[in-house]
Amino acid sequence: MLILNNLMPDPLRERLSGKTSSVWNRSIQFEAGEWIKITAPSGTGKTTLVHMIYALRKDYTGNILLNQTDIRSLATNSLASVRQRQISIIFQDLKLFPHLTARENIELKRILQEPFCDAAQITKMAEQLGVAEILDQPAQICSYGEQQRICIIRALVQPFEWLIMDEPFSHLDIANTKIAVSLIAQECRKRKAGLVITDLDDDVLFPYTQKLHL
Amino acid sequence: MNNLAILLKKLIRNSAGHARYTVAVTGLSIAVFLLLAAVQIQVNYKELLHGKKNQDSIANFLVINKILTDANMGNTALEDTVINDIKKQSFVQSVGLLTPGRFKASIQSNSDRFPFYTDISFESIPKEFIDVSGTDWTWNEAAPYVPIIIPNMFLDFYNFQFSLSQDLPQLTPEIVKMIVFKVTVYGPKGTASFNGKIAGFSDRISSMLVPSEFMDWGNRNFASEDLKNPSRLIIRTRDPGNPALSNYLRKHQLTTDTEKTRFSKYRKAVDTVVAISGITGALMLLFALLVFTLFIQLTIASCKEEINLLIILGTAPRQLSRFLIMRFFPANVWMIAASFVTLTVLQYLMSLYLESRHIFVSGIISLYTLGTAILLVLLIWWVNRKTIRDYIYPRS
Repeated sequence: MLILNNLMPDPLRERLSGKTSSVWNRSIQFEAGEWIKITAPSGTGKTTLVHMIYALRKDYTGNILLNQTDIRSLATNSLASVRQRQISIIFQDLKLFPHLTARENIELKRILQEPFCDAAQITKMAEQLGVAEILDQPAQICSYGEQQRICIIRALVQPFEWLIMDEPFSHLDIANTKIAVSLIAQECRKRKAGLVITDLDDDVLFPYTQKLHL
Repeated sequence: MNNLAILLKKLIRNSAGHARYTVAVTGLSIAVFLLLAAVQIQVNYKELLHGKKNQDSIANFLVINKILTDANMGNTALEDTVINDIKKQSFVQSVGLLTPGRFKASIQSNSDRFPFYTDISFESIPKEFIDVSGTDWTWNEAAPYVPIIIPNMFLDFYNFQFSLSQDLPQLTPEIVKMIVFKVTVYGPKGTASFNGKIAGFSDRISSMLVPSEFMDWGNRNFASEDLKNPSRLIIRTRDPGNPALSNYLRKHQLTTDTEKTRFSKYRKAVDTVVAISGITGALMLLFALLVFTLFIQLTIASCKEEINLLIILGTAPRQLSRFLIMRFFPANVWMIAASFVTLTVLQYLMSLYLESRHIFVSGIISLYTLGTAILLVLLIWWVNRKTIRDYIYPRS
């Protein structure tokens, strides 16, 4: 279970005060396995929210409870354990190691903890998303679209209870988005995992259980 | 190396350069070698001093008296203050007073076939300082004979000089012990005669010793002068080569058999070598550790972005620390092992060399040296771990 309790990011406090939001300054609860869509225009804190849930930033009031634990209070090694086993993420800015190959970027995340799937699964997913040919290229020479698909695969090779996605299809065309959505849905169901996706606009890519507006 | 370590190695590169790294490793090796050598030299010296093979019966007993000069001629008695001061010294384990006979005495043969007569004087020392075992070292007026211990050198002098020049038979210690002779003491009240027998031969004290009971009886009944403080005393010391002992004797105008304190010269040399080796080793170790710490810091700083991203993606600081320790620490262990092995080989070769000169030191390296090597491994591991943790954890 994921609970967002009266959250208000410090840097956006002034900008957000007086505006209505179904997330900021409210108590909302996501049950395990729920698929959540959060929409918001640019500059209203989508990435900030994603970073808060992933415990990358702590400059906010309120708290975020993951299975009753305030993620802001986690010690460094415990937080790493959460990122290895409970929360997986697709960053908007991708965050790939440019000098490692696409395969190495994915493999690193697969073996950070007890692997959830075997190494062959990387190739299988890459074939599914149409990036098998570039797996052994350094990530820095891949296109944005290819890099985004590498990031999607990277997020799906680890165990997780929640998959957090920050505009995950921004560099993909509709056809590739549909393939990626299908793979993501399949992997989430396999784990009975929930997902939280933030984007600019509403969509029907996934059968969402909640739709929120920042 | 597991797959994760291979990937981490690609991300966290050694940016300090191999040449500098090699120089640092070499420096640390030399530092460790010097420190281990200092410990081993000290152990070897202790073994030379106290080892059963090297130690003889005279080594730890010293007879001390004043240096005889024109000024103190006729007044060489040791004052109570001097005796008490000697007792207080840390290098003195125990002190025994040599009681001189204050009566005239002579010994003469009971046999016409082997005639001899000589005036002599006796001394006595507490029983625990005697180096002749298996002797009933006591006397009373009803005893059949007076047991006497003579210096070994007396018998050597007789057998290898006197008997040859006088055409007399040479005598083994066993034969000498069987000879019964006449001991006569003289005093103002007259004379008294006893049978005497040689009870043993001493390497420790160069005078003729009788049991203290006989000495007390003689001094009580035949003393020609009043009781005086002893002129000589015997000390038992753990280390006759202790420079503090030599310095003390010199400072107080006292003397002993310098042959016995000869080790003090070597001791000073050994102390100097140990000090130079130890201090140089410790300083080098300090600098080498500093350089290694800087290497680790530099490596972490130059891979700052990669490390940050690794932590963001979920790499535990514990995993990174373990990887970095495995990256830096094994080289240090190998280097300490190499220094240890080199020292082991040198120790063995040195023991063979010294054995040919009848000096015995162990061919195997000491447990103290092994312990020091283990301590150094632990110290370097701790420094590595602390540096890595100090630079990794704040990033998480």
